[in-house]
Amino acid sequence: MPTASASDFLVLDGVAKSYGPVQAVQDVSVRVAQGEFLGLLGPSGCGKTTTLQMIAGFEAPTAGRILLEGRELAGIPASKRNIGLVFQSYALFPHMTVAENVAFGLEMRRVPKPERQARVARALDLVHLEHLADRFPRQMSGGQQQRVALARALVIEPRLLLLDEPLSNLDAKLREEMQVELREVQKRVGVTTILVTHDQQEAMALCDRVAVMQGGRIVQIDAPWRAYDAPADPFVADFLGRSNRLLARIDGATAEAAGHRFPLPEALAALRGEVALAIRPERLRIRPAGQPGLPGKVHSRVFLGGFWLVRVETPAGDMLVTVQNTGTPPAEEGAAVTLDWDAHSLRRLEAAA
Amino acid sequence: MSASSRFAPAALSAPAVLALGIALLVPLIGIALLSFQGFDFDKGIIPRWDLANYASLAGDSLFQEALARTFRIALIVTVICLLIGVPEAWIIHRMSPRWRGLMLLVVVGPLLVSVVVRTFGWMVLLGTNGLINQGLLALGIPGAPYRMMFTEFAIILGLVHVMVPLVVLAVWASLGRLDPALARAAESLGAGRLTAFRRVVLPNIMPGILAGALMVFCLSASAFATPAMLGGRRLKVVSSMTYTEFLNTLNWPLGAAIAVLLLIAILAVTLLWSRFIERRALRRLGVG
Repeated sequence: MPTASASDFLVLDGVAKSYGPVQAVQDVSVRVAQGEFLGLLGPSGCGKTTTLQMIAGFEAPTAGRILLEGRELAGIPASKRNIGLVFQSYALFPHMTVAENVAFGLEMRRVPKPERQARVARALDLVHLEHLADRFPRQMSGGQQQRVALARALVIEPRLLLLDEPLSNLDAKLREEMQVELREVQKRVGVTTILVTHDQQEAMALCDRVAVMQGGRIVQIDAPWRAYDAPADPFVADFLGRSNRLLARIDGATAEAAGHRFPLPEALAALRGEVALAIRPERLRIRPAGQPGLPGKVHSRVFLGGFWLVRVETPAGDMLVTVQNTGTPPAEEGAAVTLDWDAHSLRRLEAAA
Repeated sequence: MSASSRFAPAALSAPAVLALGIALLVPLIGIALLSFQGFDFDKGIIPRWDLANYASLAGDSLFQEALARTFRIALIVTVICLLIGVPEAWIIHRMSPRWRGLMLLVVVGPLLVSVVVRTFGWMVLLGTNGLINQGLLALGIPGAPYRMMFTEFAIILGLVHVMVPLVVLAVWASLGRLDPALARAAESLGAGRLTAFRRVVLPNIMPGILAGALMVFCLSASAFATPAMLGGRRLKVVSSMTYTEFLNTLNWPLGAAIAVLLLIAILAVTLLWSRFIERRALRRLGVG
């Protein structure tokens, strides 16, 4: 066994992929620890799927190295990598029953029949589908097919599990259920997992760390809550949840935006001049008009069950505010209000013009 | 639903049904009726109704030989077309889109050339003084020149040439409906490319393969121009035998009986095929 510390279980080192003049992936470097759940998050065309394909062995990198357990993967075909894959379309074999689908990988490994049956049963048990072993995929719901795909990928005891937009074909409620289940199964099996998704909520709910990608590069890699709280740039701030932009002029320990003067956190006190600041909707508070703060007018309010999403027009631009649903609706549309926030909620957006 | 809209489908399809009836059913019935009548070399067609034509064919070794040859050739052509066409469709399917279009055009090429021109092309190549034999002679291959014209080999070659595109197109349609992730899923589970194709892709494109096979078999069994030109006068298939009876011997009733028998034989194969083989394959996929 080649030596590789547990924190270097999977290493992508300067990986790039170009199709002719098109750079799909550029200089992607990331270290994944054993048992970690890493998310590759980004809009379509950001290179996340191409990165996954290169790890799986369906595409060859044009530059850089991929090492799994310290061993370089280049030249090893997909069928010899022992990497489990779950596809967006599930890709279950339509002509095989659930049990046959799950057994396929074991058959390829020439696992003897009695052991094969026992392992298939165990894998189906893991995803609570043992009672549907003799069904065909077409006779099952999307969520069930998804679980079969997961069992099929896990039964081969893969070194690495790759999930390619696994939940995007499910409806919202089922997706949330499957997120919980997926996370549980991954923790129980302990397999190192990479999830590709464009859904920031999914990435944040499932992953230990997320790598936010844009234009073929990783722009930030961090724990979800940290990336959310301290986005590296405006793209990440906007992509991970909602964010408000506040253009302010800083002089000394206070800043001024559209005539409103407010204190700055210590971390930003050294800045001078025009600076783009960011603040999350849940960090803004709506106060009655006339109180100290940024004055504005409610433009619209949308009820979302657990909370309200309120858009407030201010001289510094439109601001989104989330208000916890406590039983009383927030200020009505057209009402004059004041926006207020704590200084430590302000973040600086890099590279903002 | 109003009366007019209830009859609309029937009214709309009436022209096509009428055209089909006049162009296909009437001649077919005419041929069937003709096959029961008699023939005399001096008096021509004798208006009588019996099974004498069929009885004489049942004892005719020349006809039996032609019938056996027809189905032997059709079967061999079908098998060869599948062996070439199915992998060909799969390979083209995996090409980049730019090459795919070009290759498909190359594949359907033979269908764009008139059967007569195409077959004459083969005659130029296959003749005793043809290009192939000249090449073999120049290379000093022992036994050359070979007799290739007027053999079953020549007929099979000519038919395969024009039938392969049908298999490719039929399989192509099936491949288009196939989830491209299937083959990759099989590979990620440890199947080599060949195994992935055999165990996962092949069963799922079976409907296309079976449809293509049936098309090729029926068209090969009823082909006339290619066997007639490449097989010559002596190597008769059923359709060229029909032609001879109608236009050389002028024994129309006997020709009609041969045509009817060929039609029945092909229909029987088609029905048995779809009843036993196709339906089973489709049921497995949950289509039938």
